[in-house]
Amino acid sequence: MITSEVILKSLGEVGTTVLLILIGTVLVEALLYLILMKWLKYKYALPFMLLAPAAIGLIALVIYPLIWELRLSFTNMSLKAFRDPAFIGIKNYVRVFTEPVLKQKMFFPLLGQTILWTVINITFHVGGGLGLAMLLNRKMRGKGIYRAIIILPWAVPQVIAVLAWRGEFNFAYGYFNIILTKLGLPGVQWLADPVANFAAMCMTNIWLGIPFMMVTLLGGLQSISSEFYEAAEMDGANAWQQFRNITLPLIQPVLTPAILLGTFWTFNNFNVPFFINQNELESSDILVTGLFRAAFQYNRYGFSAAFAFVIFALLLLFTIFYMRYTRSLKGAYES
Amino acid sequence: MSAKHTTPKKSFFRSGREDSPFKRILIHLVLIISCVIAIFPILRILAVSLRPGNRLMSTDLAIIPPDATLESYRIILFEKPFLSWVWNSLAITISTALIGVILAATAAYAFSRWKFPGRSVGLVFLLATQMIPASMLMIPIYILAIKLGMVGTYRGLVIAYCVTSIPFSVWILKGYYDTIPVDLEEAARIDGCSQLQAFLRVLLPLSTPALAITFLFNFMAAWNEYLLARVMLGSQESLLTWPLGLQRLQGQFQTQWGQFSAGSILVMVPVMVLFLYSSKYLISGLTLGGVKG
Amino acid sequence: MTKKLFPLFSVLLVAVMLLAACGPKEAGPVTINLWTKEGEADGGLQYVQALADAYTAAHPNVTFVVTNKEVETLREDFQTASLANAAPELLWTVSDHLGPFTTADLIQPVDKLVDLGKYVGSATDAVKTPDGKTWGVPIANGNHLMLLFNKSLMPVAPANTDELLKMGADFVAANPGKYALAFNETEAFWFVPWLGGFKGKVFAADGVTPTLNTPEMIETFKFLAELKAANIMPAESNYDVMDAAFKEGTAAMIINGDWSLGGYKEALGENLGVAPIPKVVATDTYPAPYTSGVFFMVPKGLEGEKLDAVVDFMKFATNKENQVEMVKKLTRLPALTAALSDNVITEDPILAGSAAQMSYGTPMPTNVEMRCVWDAIKPELLPTYAGTTSPETAAANAQKAAETCIAGLE
Repeated sequence: MITSEVILKSLGEVGTTVLLILIGTVLVEALLYLILMKWLKYKYALPFMLLAPAAIGLIALVIYPLIWELRLSFTNMSLKAFRDPAFIGIKNYVRVFTEPVLKQKMFFPLLGQTILWTVINITFHVGGGLGLAMLLNRKMRGKGIYRAIIILPWAVPQVIAVLAWRGEFNFAYGYFNIILTKLGLPGVQWLADPVANFAAMCMTNIWLGIPFMMVTLLGGLQSISSEFYEAAEMDGANAWQQFRNITLPLIQPVLTPAILLGTFWTFNNFNVPFFINQNELESSDILVTGLFRAAFQYNRYGFSAAFAFVIFALLLLFTIFYMRYTRSLKGAYES
Repeated sequence: MSAKHTTPKKSFFRSGREDSPFKRILIHLVLIISCVIAIFPILRILAVSLRPGNRLMSTDLAIIPPDATLESYRIILFEKPFLSWVWNSLAITISTALIGVILAATAAYAFSRWKFPGRSVGLVFLLATQMIPASMLMIPIYILAIKLGMVGTYRGLVIAYCVTSIPFSVWILKGYYDTIPVDLEEAARIDGCSQLQAFLRVLLPLSTPALAITFLFNFMAAWNEYLLARVMLGSQESLLTWPLGLQRLQGQFQTQWGQFSAGSILVMVPVMVLFLYSSKYLISGLTLGGVKG
Repeated sequence: MTKKLFPLFSVLLVAVMLLAACGPKEAGPVTINLWTKEGEADGGLQYVQALADAYTAAHPNVTFVVTNKEVETLREDFQTASLANAAPELLWTVSDHLGPFTTADLIQPVDKLVDLGKYVGSATDAVKTPDGKTWGVPIANGNHLMLLFNKSLMPVAPANTDELLKMGADFVAANPGKYALAFNETEAFWFVPWLGGFKGKVFAADGVTPTLNTPEMIETFKFLAELKAANIMPAESNYDVMDAAFKEGTAAMIINGDWSLGGYKEALGENLGVAPIPKVVATDTYPAPYTSGVFFMVPKGLEGEKLDAVVDFMKFATNKENQVEMVKKLTRLPALTAALSDNVITEDPILAGSAAQMSYGTPMPTNVEMRCVWDAIKPELLPTYAGTTSPETAAANAQKAAETCIAGLE
C-alpha cells in the first residue's frame, strides 16, 4: 500500500536536500568566482570552480572519516576502553602482523586467501567475459537477446543474488547436490567443507562478475577495425596468432583498467564471502570480512582501524606496481 | 558486397555470415548455455515467490510449482508498505544519480581539459577511493551524520550517495572526454561560444553514452545500497527504502521467504528494464579511460 | 485509580500551563526513542508499537519513536550512537547484549528504578552481574529451545535418547522419505542443550575461562555424530530446512525455540505437541537449553523527566494485563510472576510444555567472552556431525579458537 502522505514526505525530504545542495553549490561558486576570477584573476579559476562541489563533498565524506580512522588506529579503543581510549602509538599496526587477526588465523595466511580469491575470480571474469564478448562480436541471429540475458546477473541486487545462491549450496535441497546425486555422485558439503565453501564463494562471485567484464570488453572489441584481421588473414595468420597479435594488444587499453577495477572490487567484496560462508569458517574469510568481524563482531575498534589502513596500503602498493608495469594507465592518468 | 568481404574468414572468433553451419550451431549452443546459467538463479527466486506458505527449502525443483500462487505478491503489494519502499528508493536513487552525474561531469571536464596544479594528486586520490574497504568509513560517517542532525532524514543519505559515486563517475567521464578531440570545442569558441558554452553544447551532447553509463552505475549503487541506509535512516516507517523494507521481513531466525522473494523479483524489474534499454550505451560508453581517439 | 487520574491530571496541567504561558516545564512533551529487536515477521514489532500507542493515549505528553533494528544491528548502532552522545532513551533487546553494554559502560542498573521482586527469578537472574546489580527489566522469559512434534506422525514424544533412537528408526522404516527428527545443525545454540545433557558447561566456574576441550564436550559431539549416523535426520539441515520439513510434514520432530510456536500452531493446529528435549540416558540428565529472554535496558546518563517517563512506561508494558496480552499475541512466557498463574498459560498445553522445558534450562552467559565461544564452536559442528572431523579434534579446535579470540578482546 502507498499513501499520498508517504509520497509527499519522501518527495519533500529529497526536494529540500536537492535545494540545499543547490544553494550550497551556488554560494561556493559565487565565492570562488569573486576570489579566483575577479580578484586573483587566476589562470585555473574555471577548472577549480568546476571541481569545487565534488571536492568539498569528497573532503567531508572521505577525507574527514579517513583522518578520524587514522587517529583511532593509534588508540586502544575497544569495549573495555570505550569512552576514553588511550593513545598507544603504532602498537595496533604491530599487532596486525604479530597476532591473529581472526580467531586463529594470522595476517599473512589471510592475505594469501584473499589473493587466491582475487586471482581465481579475475581469471574467470576476464576469461569468461572475453570469451563471451568474442562470441557476441559478430553478425548473428539473436545477438541482442543473448547480450541482454547474459547481462542480467549484473542487474540483480548483490545481497539477493547471494542469498539465492546460498540456498543452492544446501546439502539436501540445493541444486548442485541434487544434480550430483542424480549423476550417482556423493553430495558435497558446500557450507561445512573448507575447500567446497571456498569454491562456492568463487562460483557465486564469478556469476556476478562476468557481465561487467563482458560488456566492457565487448566495447573494446567493437572499436577494433576489422581491417586489421583482414590484413592478418592475407598474411596467413591463424586464429590464435590473430588473437595474440591483434585482439590482445588492441584491447589492452580497455582490459588494463577493467582488471584494475575488478581487482579492487573483488579484493574488497564483502557480501559474497560473508554471506556464503555461513559457518564462519576462517578458511573462507578474506581481509575485508576479517576487518568487519574485528570491528563489529569483536568491537576491536582501534585494532580494526589499523587493520583497515594496512589493507588500504596494500592495494595502493599493488596499484602503483600494476600501473608501472602495464603503463597503459599513464595515458589516462598523467596525460 | 565490398571487396573486403570476398576473402572467406577463417578465424573462429571473428566475423559473421561466412561461419560454417557447424561453427554457428556451436556458438549458439555456448551462448544458450551461458544464458541458462545467467538466468537460472533468478528463476529459482521466482519459484520461491510462487510457493504457497513460507518455504524457502523444498525438494520440489519445478520453476512454477504445481501449487503456484500469487499470494506472496498480493501480501507484499497490498498488505505491506512495499510500494512506498520502492517509491522512496526511486526518489532517492533518481535524484542522487542525477546530481552525481552533474557533479562528476563538471569535475571530469576540469580533469580532462586543464593541467592545473594538483591534478595528478587528484586523479590518484580518485583511484585510491576505490580501494577503501566500505566498512572502514561507516562509523565516522554515522557519527558525522548524528552531529549534523542528519540521521532519520534523507538529507545525509542523499548527500552521501551523490558524493560516493563521484570518483568512479569521474573516471568513466574523463576517459570518454579524452577521446573527443579538443578541436571541436575550439571551433565552437571561434564561433563565439564561451568555454562553458562549448562544454555544454558540444562536449556534453557528444558524451551521451558515457553520461548514460554513469547514470546507470550511480542508479545501481544507490538502488541496492543497504548498510549506509540502515544506519542513517533507522527504521522510520515512512522513510524506509526497499532494502531496509525487505530486511524487515527477516526475523532473528525466521524469514518470510515467500514475500521476500516476491519483493526481490519486483525490485529487479526496474533495474532490468533500465539495463535492457541501455545495453547499447553500455557497450559504447564504458571506455574506462583507456581508449584514445 | 492513579492510572485513570493521571491523564486527567496531565490534561489539567497542560491547560494550566497554556493559561500561565510561562509555567514550569516539568510535564512538557517528552519524546522517547525506543529501539526494539522485535521484527514484523512474527508480529513482535506491531505489539511494541501498540504498547507505545496505548501509553501515549493515556499520557499525551509522552510520544514514542519505535525503531526496529535487527539484533546485531541494534548492538552496533547503540554503541556508535552512544559514542556520539545520541543514544536512544530505551532499548527492548535480548540479554546477550548485557556483556558488551556493561563492559563499555553504556547502560545503567535498574535495581532502583522498578520493583524487581515482581518478576520471575530466572528472568532477572539472567541480567544480574556478579556485583549484584541487575541491568534489565524483563519483558518475556524463555527464548529457549524445546522438542516440537507432529502428533499425526508421532503420537507421543520420546522420553529419553534411547527411545529417540528406537522410535526414530521405527518411524523412518515405516515412512520412507520422511525424517524422524531435524534440528538446526549450523548453530551452536542448538548444540549447547546437549552439552548440558552431558553435564558440560562452556565456561569454568569463573565464568570467563572457556572449557570446550573436555570429556563432556567430546561425549556430546560423539552422541550427535551417532544420532546423525542413525539416518533418522536429513543429511544436513539448517534453520530453513528444519522449518520447511516440519511445516511440510516431512519431519516428525524438530527442536526449535519458543519464538516459533505461534507459526507452528498456525501450520499444524491441534497436531502440534511440545515436550522437553529427550533425557540423555548416559548421564540421566535432561538437556539444558539456554534461557534468556527479552529485556528493557536503560542507557547511562538518562535522567529527569525522560527517565521518569521511561520507568513509568516499563512498568506499564510489564503490568499483568499487558503481559497476558503478550502471551496471547506472541506465545511467549511472561516475565511477571503474577501473569504466570493466569489461565491463559495454565490451560494451554503448548505453553505448559514450553514452561516444562524451561525448568530444565540454564541461563545463557551474557558476557563478551560468550561471543568467542559461539564463534569457536560453530565451524566444528557440521564436519563433526558428518564424521569428517573427529570429536576429539573438534573439541581441541574449538578450545583453541575460543582462547585466542578471548585474548584478542584485550
